[in-house]
Amino acid sequence: MKKLLILLIALGFLSSCAVVKEYEKVNINDPDMALGDKTIKRFETSAQAYREAASGANGGKTGGGCGCN
Amino acid sequence: MAYSQDTIVSYKKRVLESVEIDLLASYYSQDGDNAAVTGGIGTEELTDLASSIVVSIPLNDDDVLKIDANVSAYTSASSSNVSPFDSGQPADPFVADSGASANDLWLNGVVSYSHSSDDRNNIWGANVSVSQEYDYASFGFGGNYSYLLNDKNTELSIRANVFLDSWKIIYPFELRPFEDLGYTPLQTNKRNSYALGFGFSQILSKKAQGSISLDLVQQEGLLSTPFQRVFFKDRDAIIIGNGFQLADDIERLPSSRFKIAIGGRLNYYINEMFVLRSYLRYYQDNWGITSYTASIEVPIKLGDFFTLYPSYRYYTQTKADYFYKASDALSTDAFYTSDYDLSGFNVGEFGFGVSYTDIFTKVKLLGYGLKSINAKASYYNRSSSLSYFMVSGGIKFVQD
Repeated sequence: MKKLLILLIALGFLSSCAVVKEYEKVNINDPDMALGDKTIKRFETSAQAYREAASGANGGKTGGGCGCN
Repeated sequence: MAYSQDTIVSYKKRVLESVEIDLLASYYSQDGDNAAVTGGIGTEELTDLASSIVVSIPLNDDDVLKIDANVSAYTSASSSNVSPFDSGQPADPFVADSGASANDLWLNGVVSYSHSSDDRNNIWGANVSVSQEYDYASFGFGGNYSYLLNDKNTELSIRANVFLDSWKIIYPFELRPFEDLGYTPLQTNKRNSYALGFGFSQILSKKAQGSISLDLVQQEGLLSTPFQRVFFKDRDAIIIGNGFQLADDIERLPSSRFKIAIGGRLNYYINEMFVLRSYLRYYQDNWGITSYTASIEVPIKLGDFFTLYPSYRYYTQTKADYFYKASDALSTDAFYTSDYDLSGFNVGEFGFGVSYTDIFTKVKLLGYGLKSINAKASYYNRSSSLSYFMVSGGIKFVQD
């Protein structure tokens, strides 16, 4: 419950940021600023899903679809 | 192109300008001394060659179809010891056998479709996947929706996926025929996974953006691996060949598992040369495992074409309630496994990548221009003796 509360506070904090206009997003639109992983990282994420119990919350697998976790 | 009532012509940018093709490949080499197939004692030597083709096709201004085909061929010393007698040599948990289970091929295909609204603030998607290896098959489907607001500074998303998997049950050689030898049969060969995910991303400033994602997963069915051995403390060990211990049972795990994972990313554009990419994750499940993940990557731009990607990842997890080292479990326990992937451990992983990007796609091949080339090497070291080395590469082409 405490963690959920922290999450909600964080969401509120983040959404209160000043709006960045499209023409101001030069740096934000840099490919290395993307919030997802690069396509090449799929193999690494897959290996981690096999070798570790945890998965999910990273844009990769969450469970199922393989004989891993 | 759209015509408004006062005849002013407005254009909307295509979601994807032209067909993109990604060709990817990797080589993976692993070793360790705690193979689950041989009850937590034995070689974990494994090599894997994988390749992928990802084709993204713009169907019109708003819709994109993506086809993702994958193949992975692996050789596993521990899997070869499901039946350690095929080679005619004395059985040895630290030596690979030559049986059919020493190799396998994993085939996978995912087709996904996405539709964006005219203002690009609403995105719907759906996907279907299939995968097959010798003893495992999977069918999956899912959907997702994203809503962008606040001048596209904020994105809210929800996604759901279902995987309907099935095992071809293979027992360790010495436990066959399983039921005739008095072992409790597995109740099902099905494994179903239901995943629900929520995402929130936010542009924080002209140089920073972050995201938070939450994944909830419920799994049901056969969640253990049928050919993984367990040795009991309260049974006499039967050892043959070169120290090969015969199984007292296969691993037994509960038929349901609930997982929750919360992850956060924060990326910061330091200057024209450096970007900071960071990631944190907290994970917990009802098998008693808690884990934390932290990673950092600092892309370093060397001019207009080349970028270096040094990275470090730290991971730690507590052991599952049902994990026992070899010969620590009791035959009276309800659940037990000696799979070290479910043990408590820490991981350090170093990575280094390099990327070449040509925004003008000057190099041409069969009507496609070369957009980028990526390569990455990583070394993974787990405190439970396992380590792996991986190299991967990718080439992206775009249609002229």
